[in-house]
Amino acid sequence: MNPKISRKRATALLSWATALLLGTAPLAGGAQETAVQGRKTQVEARPAAVPARAFAYDAKRESVLEGTVVGYTEGGQIAPTGAHATVRTRSGDVDVHLGPASYLQANHFSLAAGEQVRFVGVNAVVNGKGVFLARIAQKGNQVVAIRSPRGSLLAKGASRLLTEAERAQMKQQGGAR
Amino acid sequence: MNARTETTVSRVSIVLALFAAACGGGGGNNGGPPPPPPKFTNASLSGQYAFSMSGTELCAGQGSLFARIGTFTADGHGNITNGLEDVNICTGTEILQFAGGRYSMDADGRGSLSLTNSTGTTNYSISLVSSAQGTVVQTDATVTASGTFQRQNPASFSNAAIAGGYVFDFKGVEVVGSTVDPASIIGRFDADGAGAIVNGLYDSNIAGTLSGQQTFPTGTFYRMDTNGDGTAFGRGTANIAGRNFAFYVVDAARIKFIGTDFPSELLGEAFAQQNIAFNDSSLVGDYAFLIDGLNSGSPIATSGRFTADRAGNIANVIVDENHNGAVTLLPVGTVTGAAYAVDTNGFGGGLLQWTDTTAGTFSFIFYLISPTQAVLEETDSGIVSDGMFTAQTATPITTTSMAGDYAFVWTGVNSSGDETDFAGQLTLDSSGGFSGLLDSNRFATTTSTQVFDALINGNLTLSGNGLGANTFNVTEVSPADTFHFTAYIVDQNRIFVVCTDTNRVLSGRLTRQP
Repeated sequence: MNPKISRKRATALLSWATALLLGTAPLAGGAQETAVQGRKTQVEARPAAVPARAFAYDAKRESVLEGTVVGYTEGGQIAPTGAHATVRTRSGDVDVHLGPASYLQANHFSLAAGEQVRFVGVNAVVNGKGVFLARIAQKGNQVVAIRSPRGSLLAKGASRLLTEAERAQMKQQGGAR
Repeated sequence: MNARTETTVSRVSIVLALFAAACGGGGGNNGGPPPPPPKFTNASLSGQYAFSMSGTELCAGQGSLFARIGTFTADGHGNITNGLEDVNICTGTEILQFAGGRYSMDADGRGSLSLTNSTGTTNYSISLVSSAQGTVVQTDATVTASGTFQRQNPASFSNAAIAGGYVFDFKGVEVVGSTVDPASIIGRFDADGAGAIVNGLYDSNIAGTLSGQQTFPTGTFYRMDTNGDGTAFGRGTANIAGRNFAFYVVDAARIKFIGTDFPSELLGEAFAQQNIAFNDSSLVGDYAFLIDGLNSGSPIATSGRFTADRAGNIANVIVDENHNGAVTLLPVGTVTGAAYAVDTNGFGGGLLQWTDTTAGTFSFIFYLISPTQAVLEETDSGIVSDGMFTAQTATPITTTSMAGDYAFVWTGVNSSGDETDFAGQLTLDSSGGFSGLLDSNRFATTTSTQVFDALINGNLTLSGNGLGANTFNVTEVSPADTFHFTAYIVDQNRIFVVCTDTNRVLSGRLTRQP
């Protein structure tokens, strides 16, 4: 049995036994409600998150990757889904994940072979292959934030941060809702 | 008439023409039996239905999460006569009344639906499971979404009807300052039948940060609208787990919620909780589960099954997970530490966990609706994913026992990372082969693609007794594509599916039609 749950269950059993002795064990229906209200709702501590098992973005491992684009696709057949760039660096070619293509298009960001690029992100392994998960992409003076500082893709949440003026403008432009 | 309706009419016309040609010159009754009546007609969609869906809208040139819930009234003859909806979109929250609309049902239970309000008309493809419920996909050029609808019971449109315990699951994003984080909040509460909420407990997972079990903050309530929307549409407002919501009552056992704390966006449902004191012995037997969400903002979908022994132990864990194309199939190594614990307070919360020696630890929190059903939230670092687990039949499954008609809905992202939604219907034969039709909406900021009446075929291949991971491969004829799913059979009426392709993430469910 998992030690974390095992510890919790031991405590729980003790609480249950104590409750039985005190005559306050939870009961079904209205009796349950009365008992709980009488002794204050019991709140149990939940376990802390366990270490990530998959390719979660770990901001503590961020690094900078610079090089020359040798390939770019907005809908590749490889994981993770989204746009990928192949970047030639001093240590070899690196697959860089750039998130949903639509987000890059909305930010007027695309890449072509021969362009010099700079990314901030983390290295990960997906389906046994190395991939650099970009948080910030830079081409010349153009900088696009792809992920939040915590590593969440900004693609579908960015429009939740429009200013009041931008919202008013969008609303005026209309469209069925 | 939208594209979906036009296509359907064309198909029907062709079929009728072929039928007429085949029968032409017959000179009257050929003596054969009359054709069976169609399973579904416009009359199948009749009455008042509550709907909920979430998806992606085009906003300021980019894709943006949004949600809508509401109600529409179908007259059984192709007309939408009334309705109301709440939307949470990138420009804010709104309440919009439907001035009308149209729908058209095919014999297989698929159909088109349009809803018109003061801002215009939105279009949908629907698949009826029965006349009481169905699945829905929005098919507009700049908006895609997926969800469900159920027939409402107006007798439940009162504070008094909403009484007793409820278990809820809300999912979406929470915005704090300039941070937009994926969010999942599950829990339970007691409604007192007069607008007050007591015994509220919840667990939130905001971008992987877990709240631990919390009591509801002060200010919690639920209240049917008193301006007529309550009695006419089953609409109300509530404060649950410290968040504000609008809700629509399906019936006393099911309520749909949408968050109104813009710019945050939450969508979910609450289900009446069985009135018992839950403990470890509440969980016994086989369970299948399906959850989806985000990990570091990337899509993730997980389905599987496990066995609980009523004493806190879990066995026979099988899992398929697709995390943005990274596919994990359990068991990879050896599954250890598989256990669960139901909270001692009797309210049905609990923990579930197992570790695969190769793939890592899978941790969850759940709240039991009954001993056979629960909402489920993953709590591993970075993962914000939730859904349900439900009792799985113990009866061995065969392709013969699964044969029949099914409505289905799948949602996820395509290879470019943008949302894709599918709704359709298929007929499984006794050998596991199937054919059917599907509609889809593949979002893009430039040109979204809506496909209607796409022919599909494929095979459900069962493994062993059919209660583990089965193969469900779907070939779409045009546009040509093949989807590889793992199917977990819940029972003879329901199937959970998760896509195992590495260039997309999809999950969904198939539900038997009558």
